[in-house]
Formats: sequence, structure tokens, C-alpha cells
Amino acid sequence: MLFIIEDTINGILMGSIYGLAALGLTLIFGVLKVINFAHGSMLMVGMYAAYWAALLTGLHPYLTLVIVVPAMFLFGYLLQDVLIKPIFKAEKDVREPITVIIVTTGLWYILDNLSLLIFGPQYRTIPDNPLRGQMLEFGDMMISVPKLWGFCAAIVTALMVYAFLQKTRMGRAVRATSLDRDAASLQGINQYKIYNVAFGIGTAVAGVAGVALVPFYNIFPSVGVLFDIKCFIIVVLGGLGSIGGALLGGMIVGVIESVGPQFMTATWTEAIVYGLFLVFLFLKPSGLFGVKYDW
Amino acid sequence: MNPSLCRKLPLVIAAAAALALPLVVTSPTYLHILILLYLYAYLTTSWNIVGGFAGVLPLGHATFVGIGAYTSTVLSLQYGISPWIGMLVGALLSSLVGVLIGLPTFKMRGAYFALATIAFAEGIRVMVENIDYLGPFQLNGPRGLQIPPLKTGLASFMFATKEPYYYIILVMLAGVIALTYAISRSKLGYYLVAGGEEPEAAQALGVNVARAKLIAMAMSSFLTAFAGTFWAQFTLYIHPKSVMSLDISFEIAFIALIGGRGSIAGPLLGALLLRPVGDFSRIYFGDKLPGLHLIIFGVVLILVMLYQPRGLQEPLTRIYNRAMDRMCGGREAAA
Repeated sequence: MLFIIEDTINGILMGSIYGLAALGLTLIFGVLKVINFAHGSMLMVGMYAAYWAALLTGLHPYLTLVIVVPAMFLFGYLLQDVLIKPIFKAEKDVREPITVIIVTTGLWYILDNLSLLIFGPQYRTIPDNPLRGQMLEFGDMMISVPKLWGFCAAIVTALMVYAFLQKTRMGRAVRATSLDRDAASLQGINQYKIYNVAFGIGTAVAGVAGVALVPFYNIFPSVGVLFDIKCFIIVVLGGLGSIGGALLGGMIVGVIESVGPQFMTATWTEAIVYGLFLVFLFLKPSGLFGVKYDW
Repeated sequence: MNPSLCRKLPLVIAAAAALALPLVVTSPTYLHILILLYLYAYLTTSWNIVGGFAGVLPLGHATFVGIGAYTSTVLSLQYGISPWIGMLVGALLSSLVGVLIGLPTFKMRGAYFALATIAFAEGIRVMVENIDYLGPFQLNGPRGLQIPPLKTGLASFMFATKEPYYYIILVMLAGVIALTYAISRSKLGYYLVAGGEEPEAAQALGVNVARAKLIAMAMSSFLTAFAGTFWAQFTLYIHPKSVMSLDISFEIAFIALIGGRGSIAGPLLGALLLRPVGDFSRIYFGDKLPGLHLIIFGVVLILVMLYQPRGLQEPLTRIYNRAMDRMCGGREAAA
């Protein structure tokens, strides 16, 4: 019985980091109404950024946040401005241009293979990492310390994004654009700038997830693919566009992955997650917390 | 010369060249590259029936390749049934699965349809990877199935040289192109295009959009499974990652999108452009610059989407038509 509790706790912790990764995706969807297929690659870029920042400056892995977050924000802001904005301008009357999926898929291939070209296929971990393998012991239960910090990062980031959306002037503009881009434009909101900001924040959040993963996860060029499809699943489970939904969806996936292997072959849990995803897609496409929406 | 005959001349020359090519190209390596080029042109043309005409973005067609490959292989290994019959059984099974996937997913809009097809394809791949026996059928999980090269010949769909494979896939490709041409001229083709572009308007005019899409999906998955059987017989070894991976689904979609989805020339053109880039960069830069061709694909895809959203076939068809006008006389004369 104890190991189930232990697995559940570790699943929730790991799942919250999945949720953190998915948070950026759901935010971008909520505002732009498009799915960024390159989101996993953004996470990969964030992980490499954290790795190199820690290696070159000797900063504590978590302190690389001060470099990674602004850099990733800028990266996302520029990508949206250069690559995706032209599509929105060309397809003004399309609510969710499918071309964006295609362009971001191209971006996914470019980023993953560019990092393979530059950094090589080898798995990397931060040397002299103060957090690797650290465990908290509660009686017979072992809780991973870096995952616990990742959980905290997920909660704090979610609260910060929520506060930004609810309390700031820019956040209000983002929400207005998300509700009705034309009406927002009529109020003098520059929708393309809002898209840039939303994409930048979404990418920066992927950077936070990258920093949270780096102390205990291998870094390699195709690491994003592992998270890409997981993030799609999580945002649909939680409801596209919902911040709390992303975290909860992440935790559900995390718990299935960590408790499942007690009852079946580990690889079967993957099939269960896909099955759950499809059930939600068919029966409740708005997810746990999503708004009702014309599918 | 008769103008309409003159306009058909380049096509006749291209077909003759394709038929004669193995007489010139004798290196097995180059024949292999050509066979895979035709295979991908075939796959993409089949994909195009639903992904092009019906205007949705299916990203899980590798499932149907896998169903075709596994069905014919299991039937021939365990029951000694000819792969040609297995090919048909696999295609029927595949179109059944295609309809089952299409029924709930076609109601969804763009992005959700793409996600659902990915989830289906990956879910089925993960299941096959975890199953050694599906009822009485041995699938061997991740280890896959090996086809022992016992007796060669047309009846057993197995040959010692590459030329027969070349001609089989060429005939398959010609067949699927003729079929898409017929579809694009048929009522179904118009229903699909109308339903893809303006579903509400088409519905209002009495077009049963959902039904047209399901028929397209059934045909597309049926034809895609044929390629799976061909693949299995060509490589004589299949495993879930080789015939069901997401990479195959994405490559098919990339070829269609760059060439131009919804057109007949698009998939052909896309395969002609992308496959050689991939093969030669793997041969020459594979060890030093791994993944180079995928970067090129990504860049080309983004550029095409931004500047030529209907694919490269559009400007090339325009150039082709102008050249034809000059050579064979004006279009009025042709009509």
C-alpha cells in the first residue's frame, strides 16, 4: 500500500512539471486559437539554455532562470512576429488557421535537428549537479527533491501567469483578445502585439519547465518529442486554454505513468494515456475546465 | 499536330521514361531510391484523397501502412496465404479502421482532428509494440516480423532483384493517380472540396459532407494499406517503428503540403523534390551532418506555407501550361 502512495506522490510531482510544460501551450492556444506543434522543441531549447547557462556561468541550476526566462520570452516573441504573424495577416477571417500547425511542425523539425547538428546526439547532464539523486525520506517513502522543486515552480508559475492575466492592464488586453479578437481590435488593442506577448510568455513558461527538468532529466535533441504529444494530451484533458486544467491534466498523466507500472507493463501506461485522451476528445472535448466551444 | 494530342505528349514521354528507367539505372542503390520515391508518391497521393480534397489534416496515416504490412505478413507467415490476397484483406481491414477513426473525428475542427489522428496512430503503435499475440495472430511486439526469402516469384510477391518491385510500385502509382483523377472529376470530388472549404454552405446545399469525408477516408486508408504490404514484401522485415512511426505520417503530410495538397500533380512533385534531398543528404552527409535533410524539409515547408500556400505545383503548373500554349498553340485550339 505504501508504495502506491509513494508512486502517487511522485506521479503528482512529475505530473505538475508536465503541467508546467503544457501551461505554455494552453496559454498560446487560449489567445491565438492555434496549437503550437513546436512547443516540445521550445522545451528542448529551454533545457539546453539552462544547461549551457549553468555550465558556462557556474550558476546553481535553478538560478539560470534569470537568463533562461528572458531569453526564451524574446525567442518566442520574435518567432511569432516573424513566422506566424504573416499567416494571421493573410488568413484574417479564419478563426484557427491550420497553416500555423504546419509552420510550427516545420519549426519543430528545424529546431530538433539543428540541436542534433550543433550539440550531437549524446545525453547530457549538468556536471557537479547539487540536486542529482537527492531524496527526502519519510519513513519508508522516498520523495525526489528536484521533482518537489519542480512542483513548486509549477504552482508559482501558474499563479504568476494567472495574476498577470487578471491584475495587469496587459493581461486584460490579452484576455480581451482571447475572447474576441475583432472586438478587442476595435478597442484599440494591437492584436498582433498581444499575440507576440502571449507567444513569448508561453515560450518563457516552457523555459521554466526546462529549468525545472534539467537537474534530474537527460538533455538530448529529441527530448521535446517526449513532451510534445504529452502536452497535447494534457491540454485537451484539462481543457484548452485553462491554466488550472493544464496542471490537473499534467498530474493525471503523471499519476497514471508512475502508478500504472505496479499493475501492468510500463509501456502499456502509454496506451492508457492515449486511450484516455481519445475518450475525452470524443465525449468531452472541452476537457475538465475548458469553456464550451464550437468544435 | 493535333493540339490536344500535343498537350498529352509530355505525359506520354514521362511515362515511357519511367518504364525504361531500369534499363539505364542498374545500380541497386539508385533503384532502391527510386522505388522509395514512387512508394512515397503513392502514399502521398492516397493521403491526398482525404488530406487534400477533403481539406482536413490527418497526421496518422502510418497506422494504415502498418495494418497493411502486418495483415499480409501474418497471413502469409502463419497460414501460407499469398501476400496478394493478404494485401486485399489488409486493405479492407484498414479501411474499416479508417472509417472507425473517421466517424468521431470528422466532426472536429482542424487542430483537434490532427491531434486525434496522431493519438490514434500512436496509440495503435504502442499497442502493437506491447502485443506478442493478438488472439491467434503472432505479432512479436517490438521485435517485429521477419519474412524468410524462401521462394521468389510473382505469386509469392518476392523477388531477388529490385526491377520487379520497381514495376509493381510504378503500376500501383499509375493506378492511384488515375483514381484520384477520376475522383477529382466526380461528384464525390466536388462534394469533398465544397465540404472542405465551406462546410456550412455545402451542408445547406444538401451535400452530405460527413458521408463524403467518410468515403474519402475509407478509400484513402484502403489504398494506403496496399503500400504497407508492398513495403513488407520489399524489405522482408517489419516492426512497429518501421511501418507505424509518426515520422512516416509526417513525411507523407510534408510531401503533400510542399507539393500542393488537393492537386494531382502536388504529391508527385513533392516526392520528386523531397525524397532525393533526403536520400542524398543521408548518403553524403549522414555521418557528419545527421538530420540535415529534416532541417531542409522544415525550412522549405515554412517558406512554401508563407509564400506559396497552395504548394509548389501552382507556379510550376502555370509555367508548364504557358510552355504548352507556346508549343501546341493556344488553349482555345486545345479545347
